[in-house]
Parts: sequence; structure tokens; C-alpha cells
Amino acid sequence: MQNIEGVDKKKQAQLLDPSGARPPLSRSITTTLNPSARSEVLLQAKKNTILTSHGRPPWYGEDGKHLSEAFVIGIAGGSASGKTHVARCIVQALGSIPTVVILSQDSFYKRHSPEDLKLAFANRYDFDHPDAIDMPLFASCLADLKAGRQSNIPIYSFKDHQRLDETKYLYGASIIIVEGILALHDPELRSLYDLKIFVQCDSDLMLARRIRRDVHERGRSVEGVLEQYLRYVKPAYDNFVQPTSRYADIIVPGSDNTVAIDLIATHIRRKIDDRSSYLRERLAKIAPRDLTPGDCYDQYFPNLIVLPQTPQVRGIFTILRDRTTPREDFIFFTDRLSTYLSEKAVEFLPFKPRTVTTPVGAAYHGKELSVEHVCGVSILRSGGPLEQGLRRVIQDIRMGSLLIQSEVHTGEPLLLHSMLPVCIRQRNLAQNSYVFLLDAQIGTGAAAFMAIRVLLDHGVPQENIIFVTFIVAACGGVRVLQRAFPRVRIVCGAVDPVLRESWALWDTPPPQEAKESEPGTPGTPTVKTKQEAEAEGRKVWVVEPGMGHIGDRYYL
Amino acid sequence: MAPKNAPGDLPPSVYVLPQTAQLEALYTIIRDKETSRGDFLFYSDRIIRLLVEEGLNHLPVVPKTVQTPTGATYEGVGFEGKICGVSILRAGEAMEAGLREVCRSVRIGKILIQRDEETAQPKLFYSKLPQDIAQRYVLLLDPMLATGGSAIKAVEVLKEHGVPEERIIFVNLIASPEGLKNFCTKYPHTKVITGWIDEGLNEKAYIIPGLGDFGERRYVYRVYVLAHRLTSVGWAYRYCS
Repeated sequence: MQNIEGVDKKKQAQLLDPSGARPPLSRSITTTLNPSARSEVLLQAKKNTILTSHGRPPWYGEDGKHLSEAFVIGIAGGSASGKTHVARCIVQALGSIPTVVILSQDSFYKRHSPEDLKLAFANRYDFDHPDAIDMPLFASCLADLKAGRQSNIPIYSFKDHQRLDETKYLYGASIIIVEGILALHDPELRSLYDLKIFVQCDSDLMLARRIRRDVHERGRSVEGVLEQYLRYVKPAYDNFVQPTSRYADIIVPGSDNTVAIDLIATHIRRKIDDRSSYLRERLAKIAPRDLTPGDCYDQYFPNLIVLPQTPQVRGIFTILRDRTTPREDFIFFTDRLSTYLSEKAVEFLPFKPRTVTTPVGAAYHGKELSVEHVCGVSILRSGGPLEQGLRRVIQDIRMGSLLIQSEVHTGEPLLLHSMLPVCIRQRNLAQNSYVFLLDAQIGTGAAAFMAIRVLLDHGVPQENIIFVTFIVAACGGVRVLQRAFPRVRIVCGAVDPVLRESWALWDTPPPQEAKESEPGTPGTPTVKTKQEAEAEGRKVWVVEPGMGHIGDRYYL
Repeated sequence: MAPKNAPGDLPPSVYVLPQTAQLEALYTIIRDKETSRGDFLFYSDRIIRLLVEEGLNHLPVVPKTVQTPTGATYEGVGFEGKICGVSILRAGEAMEAGLREVCRSVRIGKILIQRDEETAQPKLFYSKLPQDIAQRYVLLLDPMLATGGSAIKAVEVLKEHGVPEERIIFVNLIASPEGLKNFCTKYPHTKVITGWIDEGLNEKAYIIPGLGDFGERRYVYRVYVLAHRLTSVGWAYRYCS
């Protein structure tokens, strides 16, 4: 008996509080649904934030073009019907699917005039009417995100009843969930959805939830809530929200909807699986491996700029390539080479004439930089050693970073984190920005490829991207890069002949031991270390002769 | 303004940095009399680094084979011969930081040469050089080559200390055609690395268009504006007292 009562109570609580209450926006998932997923998914289903579980795999083909657009789901339903709850459950049920964003209609309330503002503070402004929402902006932000571009969505403050001046930068979601009472109202928005969901819930249940939420969480009186409900919420639901249910592909109940969500998640997962790709392998396969230098050198493209091989440059490379070079020397000469490379790279910025007067009183007709924005973006970790050089050449340059790592089993690059300067985040600025992209070497080119794609997605033109790197593997991904992005310039210190696949070895053998056990047979690892590496199961592409793992040698 | 440095006009021992738009922009900044001291420091350092990098290319190297961490061998080169820097006070001192950024912990000697008021000839007032300078390659630093008087005197001093002419590399930012001619006629075996060759000299023997007094701009330029900055005042005292 007690047991049954307990269940009933639980059920009652569940009905009334499907964790579908809108604010607070940053609440983590504490749902009673889908208990199996609860322990493994640690995602905080924040609204308007890109959620990632394990990084973003390539979203483009080897021609550099997008494979597909993001998958967009629109969720509509009455106020307190449980839309956010459904959205969060979908995110949770998707498990390790990368990069999801929940976009909330609340962000797109219009900027209010002083009169509207007065009404809003007197609770006399109709927030449930379609006219309260900036639909064109909503649609253009969603269209940008769907096409894989960045978007800077507005931030709306419920406290001030006003849109704030700052915006929220979003980029890189492969699944976009749009939720709001009027999400299915606007035809322009509807045309962007791949899946349209309507959450159907009884009016009395919605009202009960709303009273409970507003009284408990917002400290409002029951009369106030009821008045607002009767004046605005209910009419809006009947006139604008409920009718949109006919556009929905699927109608989900507002409570006890585990099965429905499971069905939806399965559908989405299948759609996403169809789109995944194995890029790194394909990149490497396009280029024949272990070719002799002669076969490759004639295939240089004009935008690959190699430093003149002066005695100093060759001497610096000899020190850097030497496995016995102590760390402090390695750092010093890395910084020196990166400074020199950066000097070479900035030669490709545009200049315009300028006349100045010298202290002697003479006029000098010279030049000055003619760019609006310049910034650097390093591909972590191994792009980091080039930052010092760029800083020595461009004072106070804004630096961003992209953390791109290859996945252990497939070797596919994953975009784990991006932190881009403001002049790239804003699309109108990005179009006039010059970007120095830094990475220690281009082997398969998979990371470089992804980084360039990120910049292009943001609107930076190809000809404004200058890739700065120490070593390029002649037969590696540089040719794929050339084919996909012919106008991106690559400035490098040396071109190495060989790119080959091997077990991840270079962290294991200490220099002396390796020297003793493999005299005269370069490239053949010792049996012991090979076994160790195989046990670890990590294969990597090695540039030869190369410099080893530049990030490790610089930082560790 | 295109400089007069078509290779045919130059003595064979003179090397001019590639005249890129980028380099021209650097010179435009440091020539501008409105440029702040901070910018002057930053951008002149960039040119000095390029000059030193170019100067070092004239040092000998020997073949050297190393093993890379990936297990491959690399046929490279090793640096041969010890070097030191010698700055002609006081403007040459301003190039030391740039030199140190390229050559870590390099030894640096100093020479003070000023015009003798009686004879109007350059006169050696002070020199402090590494003891083993005769065994080293010398990077002689002086930012401006105007008439060439002090540079010629400095090479004379170095030769007295046993450094052969051909082991001296003279590095400067701006040279006048007259100065280059004087210097190279006197010492045809000393290499001269310069960033830019200007139009000529005015009646006061200043380089035109030039950039004014290099040391003055680097250390004490507009000291009246910067008087509250202790560092500047310190430099001013050091050189004015």
C-alpha cells in the first residue's frame, strides 16, 4: 500500500514538474525519465550553448565543401507543456552524439520601445503574441547555424525586459533544437526544420505547472498568474500555438513521453550516422605514400612558400631535428625560427602608400599596412611554439586557438575546443580579417584542413588565410589542401620527403637506448618499443626526417 | 621612394635586405618623426633581427648529420666558428638586444668613437673587447652609415686587435651611398649588411631622408614628454652627464 502511494506521489510530482520550467536556464538534467542515461551523460543541457560530448568530427568532404547541413528540430507547444524537457531528453537520449545546441525562442524577443517597456513592467505586455518575437532575426540566425556558419544570437534579459547589447556567439552545432511556443508559427522558420515536433499537453496540466513554477520560482501570486494566463497565455495558445500543431511531423505527449522521445532519438541518430565520414584515412589515401622527393616536388602549388634554405635556416633545422638537442636549445631555436617564419608570412599582407616626415625634415614616401584586422589562430598543442614568433613580429596581436586532436581509433580529426578572436566571431569583421593559422607541421593535413574549414565557415576569405608551419610533408595532405583551398597561402620552413604511418613511438624510446639498438637502420623501431606501441594501439602519421613531436619537445 | 640599390651599382661586398613592401612599411614607421618611442623600439628591433639573420648567413657552416626523433637521419649543417658582437657607441648599443634575440648569450664588445674637435677626424675614446676576439667572427653594429668615418675607424681598431678584415660583418639599418663607397673602398673584404640605402647626405652629414639620430630616438627622444618615466630619465642622465 505504501509502495503504491509512493509511486503515485512520484508520478504526481513528475506530471507537475517535468523539469520543463524555462528558467533557470543553466539547470542540469535531473529528470526521472530515462534513468539508464543519467549516469553516463554529464551534459548540462544549457540553452543557447553548444554541447559537445567528444569533439566534432569532420563535417566536410575532401573537396573542402560541407557534407551536409546541420539537423534542425523545431519543438513547439503551449507554455509549460514540457518543450524544454523534451529537448533535453532528446539530447540525453542521443548519448555521445556531438555538438548539439538548444536554441530558445526567448532570446529573440524584440528590442522594446519605452512605451512597450512600461507595459512590460506593469505586466501588460503580451509576450505570447507572435509580434513580440523578432522572427526575421530568428530565421536568419537559424539559417546561419544550419548552414554551418557562426551566429551571434541576441541575449534577452527577463529582469530588464530588454534585449542586451552583447550577443552570444554560437558555432559548430551538428544538431540544432529550436524550442518555443511559436517555434512552428513562422513559415520561414518552418522551412528550416528537418523535424517538427509539437508537444501536446492538457490545458489544466499546463496551468497547474505554470502556477507552481511561477509561485515557487518567481515569487508571484496565484492571482497574478491566473490573470496573466487568462489575459494573454490562454488566448495566445488557442489562437497561435495550438493551430501550429498541424505542421508537426510528430505530436508528443507532454507527460509519460519516454517512448516518443526514444523513437525521435533513434530517428535522429540514424540521420546523423549517415552523415559521418572518415576523413583522415581518405586524405592520406589520396596521396600515394613514401614517394621519392622527385615525384612530388613538381607538384608544388604557387601558394606554398618555402623559406630560402640559407646556411642559418639549415643550421637551425639541424639543431631542431637532432634528437639529442636539449630542451632549452630546442625552445630557443624554435622561437628564432618561428620569428623568421612570421617575418616571411607578414610579407603577404597588403600594403598601401604612406608619406611621412623624418626628424631631419625630409619627406619619405613609404608604405603602411592596409588591413582592418589581423589575428593569429594556433592549432593546439603544436601550433603553440609558433605563437612567440608571431608576437615578436606583430605587436599585441590577438591570438585565438583551436584544439584539434585525432581520435585514437579512427585517426579522424576532432574539433574539441575553439576560442576565436572577436574579429573572426563577427561575420562582418571576419570578411575583412587576415588570419595567421599556426601549426608545427602539415603531415596528413587533416588538422590544417579542419582549421581552414572553421575559418571559412566564419566568413574569412581563402586569400586572407596564411598558414605558418615549420615543416610540410611533400607527399602528404598538402596536395589535398591545395586542391580544396587553392587560394590559402602556406609559409613553411622546410619540405620533408616522407610521410608514413607508424605506431606512436616517439614518446617511448629514450635517445641513447634507441641509438644502440638500431644502428644504421633509420625508421625501424626496436622490437620492445614496437610491442609497447602496438599494445597502446595508437597509429600516427610520421613526417620524415621531421622534428619528432614538436609540441612534446617544446612543452614537456 | 625606390632606393638606388640596383645590384650593378653596389660594391660586391654589400648585401641589401630584400626590398619587400613589408620592409618598406617597417622603415616608414621608424622614419616617421611622430612615431612613439615604444613603436620605434619594437619596429627597429624587427629590422635589426632581419639584419642579424642575414649577417649570420655569411658565416661558414660544416656538414653535419643528425638523427631525428622519428629515427631518420638528416644531412644538415652545423655552425662553425665563434662569433661576437661589437657595437659602436652609442647608437650601436641599441642593436644589441636584437642581436641577443638571435644569438643567445653572445659576447659583445664596445667601441666609443667621436669626432676630435681639433682635427675634425674620428678619434677612438674607449674600447672594451673580448680577449679572444682575434679568433672570432665579428658582427660590427652601427645603425646608421653616414660618412663612414666612425665605421672605418672601428674596423681599424678591430684590425689592431688582430681581427682580419674578412672576418668582420658590418651591420647597419640605413646607409648613404657616399658612406658605402668610402667604407667599401677602404675595406673591400669586409661584408656590409644593410637594410636600406638612402638618397644621400645633407650639409650637416645627416642621412636624407634618414630617421634622425637613432640612439637619441631609441633612448631619449622626447625626454621632456617622458620625464616622469624613470627609465628614460636614467638614460638621459647616463648620456648627457
